[in-house]
Amino acid sequence: MTFLHFFVYITIIVFLAAVIARGVRIARMPIHLRWDLYPIPHEKGRAHYGGSILEEVDWWTKPRHKDHIGELKVMILEILLLKGVWEHNRKLWFGSFPLHFGLYLLIGGEALAVLGGVLHLLGQQFLFLQPVITVVIWTGCVLGVIGTVIMLLMRIFDSNLSKFSTPSHYFNLLMLGAIYVTGILWLSGDQGFAANLVGFYAGLVSPSVMPALPAVAFWHIGCALLFMFYLPFTHMTHFFTKYFTYHSVRWEDETNRPGDPLQKKLDPQLAQVVTWSAPHVGADGRKNWVDIVTSPAPEIEKETK
Amino acid sequence: MAVAVKSKKKLSIRDFSKPSEQLAHVDPEDLYPLPPPYDKVEEQPGFKRLSEEAKRKYEATLDDTMVVNIPKPKDKEEEDKLVRQFVSGLEKLFSPENNWTFLQPLTLSMEHCARCQTCIKDCPIYEASGYNDIYRPTYRSEILRRLYFKYVKGGGGWWKKFNNGDIELNWTLVSRLLELSYRCTLCRRCAQSCPIGVDNGQISHDLRKLFSCEMELAAKDLHEKGTIQQLTVGSSTGMNALVVKDNCEFIDEDMEERTGIKVETVWDKEGADVLLIHNAGEFLAWPDNPGAFALILQEMGISWTLSSEIAGYDGVNYGLFYDDVQLARIAMRHYEIAEKLKVKKILMGECGHLTKAMGVVGDRLTQATPRENAMAFLDGVVFSGKLKLDPSRNDFPVTLHDPCNMVRSMGIVEPQRRVLRHIAPKFREMHPHGVRNYCCGGGSGWAIMSQNNFLDWRIQVSGRKKFEQILNAFADEDPGAETPKYVCAPCSNCKGQIRDLFDYYGAKEKSGLYYGGLIELVVNAMVDIKGRFIDWEIM
Repeated sequence: MTFLHFFVYITIIVFLAAVIARGVRIARMPIHLRWDLYPIPHEKGRAHYGGSILEEVDWWTKPRHKDHIGELKVMILEILLLKGVWEHNRKLWFGSFPLHFGLYLLIGGEALAVLGGVLHLLGQQFLFLQPVITVVIWTGCVLGVIGTVIMLLMRIFDSNLSKFSTPSHYFNLLMLGAIYVTGILWLSGDQGFAANLVGFYAGLVSPSVMPALPAVAFWHIGCALLFMFYLPFTHMTHFFTKYFTYHSVRWEDETNRPGDPLQKKLDPQLAQVVTWSAPHVGADGRKNWVDIVTSPAPEIEKETK
Repeated sequence: MAVAVKSKKKLSIRDFSKPSEQLAHVDPEDLYPLPPPYDKVEEQPGFKRLSEEAKRKYEATLDDTMVVNIPKPKDKEEEDKLVRQFVSGLEKLFSPENNWTFLQPLTLSMEHCARCQTCIKDCPIYEASGYNDIYRPTYRSEILRRLYFKYVKGGGGWWKKFNNGDIELNWTLVSRLLELSYRCTLCRRCAQSCPIGVDNGQISHDLRKLFSCEMELAAKDLHEKGTIQQLTVGSSTGMNALVVKDNCEFIDEDMEERTGIKVETVWDKEGADVLLIHNAGEFLAWPDNPGAFALILQEMGISWTLSSEIAGYDGVNYGLFYDDVQLARIAMRHYEIAEKLKVKKILMGECGHLTKAMGVVGDRLTQATPRENAMAFLDGVVFSGKLKLDPSRNDFPVTLHDPCNMVRSMGIVEPQRRVLRHIAPKFREMHPHGVRNYCCGGGSGWAIMSQNNFLDWRIQVSGRKKFEQILNAFADEDPGAETPKYVCAPCSNCKGQIRDLFDYYGAKEKSGLYYGGLIELVVNAMVDIKGRFIDWEIM
């Protein structure tokens, strides 16, 4: 196994382990109090104006119709086109959209190259994929460079952003920029780019088919791997935690009517011992949430005597 | 299209810990301009300054006003002790035992903000203040975020600083952060625009909780005079059961006199179909509202009751704004009373935070008696055909204010509009409206807070956008007082703020602006009552 192989495998393992660990940690957090924020796109027939089933008389007796397609539409527009940024921060969108969409295309191109690598290892034809891979990655890298430059300039010169930016914000952009720029350099200097990229992925499994890559390819791969390695330890994990902020908070509107199964999950949470220190809470190291909230705190008892 | 934001006050995050006489200041000239005749700064009532005595006694180094009245520590030792308490509270805020109620949303907001500032354009306080940095929805969040990574996630290593920045923790920071948590109305408009789903309103809410639950520091009107008083005396207004019953007797008599219909408020009727719970402020400040509910329920032939138990006649739940323990205590109390009376449902009066606390937030405590909001109820009443309604009796311009808690946080948008379109021929929307509305400026309990000079601040800063919206909604009408114009605000807290806005600017005298709830318009449209229920002379 070469150093390149080691670096690739270790990066993939770290990336997946850290992402899964974070995802599991968030998913296993307690069920919180309802904190919906409208519009909620699965409210069938009401999402377009932000309505909910609570608009109905005796709503608890009515069947709930959830519009999962409507939810999917909102998610697709949000993920692919950054619709929220377009609507609320147009100036930022002109940097953020190419930055993100460029990344999507780059990842899409790499996925096609992985597919080509699999076909290659299976002895199947993959030449038809090569022009597609080239065009997709080219477009992605060009968009990515445009987005990176705009975002960097905004982070530096827009005081709204600069005073809230930490060193990592600039570093992240520089890393992304480096990936895009080295991608363009590799593409423009290597006529066999797509074949080499496919070969690279096949070579990760079968080293004998690893092609001789140009030096710039190693810079590109190195930058991408480094980025992947540290990404799960930064706020950029919003690429998947956004699922939770939307589905587990904003759009989470599960009811707890008599007979609903939710209470069974809530009971253990209410059995937890409270340790807040303020006197009015009345925590004594033994009382749990039920004890605390169903009996007056010491301070309150004193006042009622 | 969003407007470009230029910040006039340049403050860095680290400035927050640096001792100074006052960190931020708003000049009247900085404020967002209002339409005529309220556009001349020199004609405005002005902005009272904090007294020297208040500044001497309390920590008043944040801005021009003060909500919490934090006593100054005697010495450095006491300061250090308070800072240690804060750190202890910070740790508990991120523990599942103490903060299971909001741990997941809070952690998500702490760890994933891109600091893109997209949300700032949606904050009416930041905009009205003339883009003063300290009022950005992101400012207090960023301070808490840095403290979270430093003290909760462990260590101040280079990676943490590189990724999340750094800030010095001292008493100056702690005392300012407490005050700053009360410069956000928790309206959550900023959360709607965050592409990632970060909720700065919820961060303000949880900051208040840390101070209340760990350090016993909270706004007096919410805590001592609010939840504590409600759970001991019976109501945050200070009314006990005898007083509220006495008030209702008077209201019943007044209703009969004005409508010609004998109204009788029902108390503690076991087995009634409906337990009606108002914000008790209605009995004192807007008695027409509970009177109108009593009349409508009676005319609809609905079996209903009020409760005279402790907290049973006051649906207020200020715990929603600052303290989950107090929130849960009051919510559980309401649910227990409904259970005891064996009612089929609770009808929640015209109050946004009451509706949210009792209707959805408290839902995760127990499987309680079903709760219905007043908007859906009135929609059902108006279109039931049981009442004879004549829309021409509401032949004056009407606009609708959307209470944040009921609309943005619960999705109750259309019922009140269906009613208004049906009974108010001159109804028009404010812009923006519905789930994108602006807060009245008195959200999160501010409408009951006027200590020191906070009234000036919440009128001139936090209520500014709403006042502008109201004026613009009636821009096509005669601007003078000759044409009365009605702002329908189906929320006690919002009505309190709108009352203060109108009083402050003399808007009734100058522009003919009046306000009230939704049910008053329904009763006013009833053919079976004598005369008009809405009387401009007594409003």
